[in-house]
Amino acid sequence: MCISFIMNDSSKLIETANLLLDISSLLMVSGANTNRANLSIDRFASVLNCKAYSLISHKTIIMTLTDEETDESCTRVQNIPPYIINFSVISAVSKASWNAISENWTLEQIEAEIERIKLLNRYPRLLVLFAVSLAGAGFCNIFNGDYLNMMVAFISTFMGLFILQQTHKLKYNLYIRLFLGSFIASVTALVGVYFNIGSNPQTALATSILFLVPGVALINSFTDLLDNNILNGMVRFTTGLMTVLAMAIGLFVAMYLFQLN
Amino acid sequence: MLEIILKLLEVSFWSGIAAVGFGILFNVPKSAVITIFVLGFGAGFIKFLLMHLNVHVVLGSFLAAFFVGIISLPMAHKIHQPPVVFSIPPVIPMIPGYFAYETILSIMNFIFTEGDVSKRISLIDAIFTNGFTMFFVLISLTVGVSLPMLLLKKNTVKKLDS
Repeated sequence: MCISFIMNDSSKLIETANLLLDISSLLMVSGANTNRANLSIDRFASVLNCKAYSLISHKTIIMTLTDEETDESCTRVQNIPPYIINFSVISAVSKASWNAISENWTLEQIEAEIERIKLLNRYPRLLVLFAVSLAGAGFCNIFNGDYLNMMVAFISTFMGLFILQQTHKLKYNLYIRLFLGSFIASVTALVGVYFNIGSNPQTALATSILFLVPGVALINSFTDLLDNNILNGMVRFTTGLMTVLAMAIGLFVAMYLFQLN
Repeated sequence: MLEIILKLLEVSFWSGIAAVGFGILFNVPKSAVITIFVLGFGAGFIKFLLMHLNVHVVLGSFLAAFFVGIISLPMAHKIHQPPVVFSIPPVIPMIPGYFAYETILSIMNFIFTEGDVSKRISLIDAIFTNGFTMFFVLISLTVGVSLPMLLLKKNTVKKLDS
């Protein structure tokens, strides 16, 4: 008799709980707000004939899963890895949840789909560097920079993001990385100010560090607060604030070195 | 007049580019890139048009973010993506970076260099004006972009037409 056939109910329930935990931690890491993570869990749980009750915090998820037929339940805890924003994952998980409901997927089908989503490719590093630098140049234009200023902003953003990515590879602390990225970007832009490149060199300096702005953290923080997920909202707001602080110190130190008033 | 319109279009274009740049940083699906550009362009156009008409930057940012929030709902429904995917990147270019920069610069001058009392008072004025403008623009952006969803009292765009 094959062993897999005698898999009992409770181990099946544990497997389901682990899958749901995996999905919600994947969503949190990718930059979804708490409400969306809860929503996805509920959708997948309803497909699998279960009811899930979860406590989602910034670093840990606790979940109790109850089988609706047998009334058995199990509780599992999972730690959330460091956050890396990835909207493709959010989009793919959302699509999978709808397909799972309409086509009544089995546990194995959902597991296979989540494994596929985890392996989705990111954009190539060079494309990201180029696109974000172009965004930096765009910022510079928005704040009244001319095309020479935009060039300076482009180069500074490029340098800053490059440092941010390199230090990520070396596994530096996030806030040290943000400081270094901001510092390098502003030093590069300050060279532009020093040689007075373009009509408005200060603009290039102000916009060179904007690529670090914690937009997702701050927006998610407010949506979490509005959804009454106060704790998560406060955590996200604090992370955003820490990021802004690291950016500001980087700019601050660079400007102090150049004695710019 | 023509010059103003051209300038407005140029700025809006670069807002769109900045939105796409952030979209790529956040790894949005390829099918959402064009939508993000259009939303970024529209948001930039609304914001700078309003500011040209002497509307305060806080209100201008709020209305532009509100526009992004509203348009992203039917778009999300149409191309089957959750609305966050293209409601966040177009809002990022409106983040008040310049006010933040001015605030930091004023704080730095206040603490490290300026000795003259009357100039120190004008620096305090600059710190508060720029700092709180930045804070209120941030709030107006985040509330503006999430308000349409909250007003509809829906968790998902899939059930909008039911």
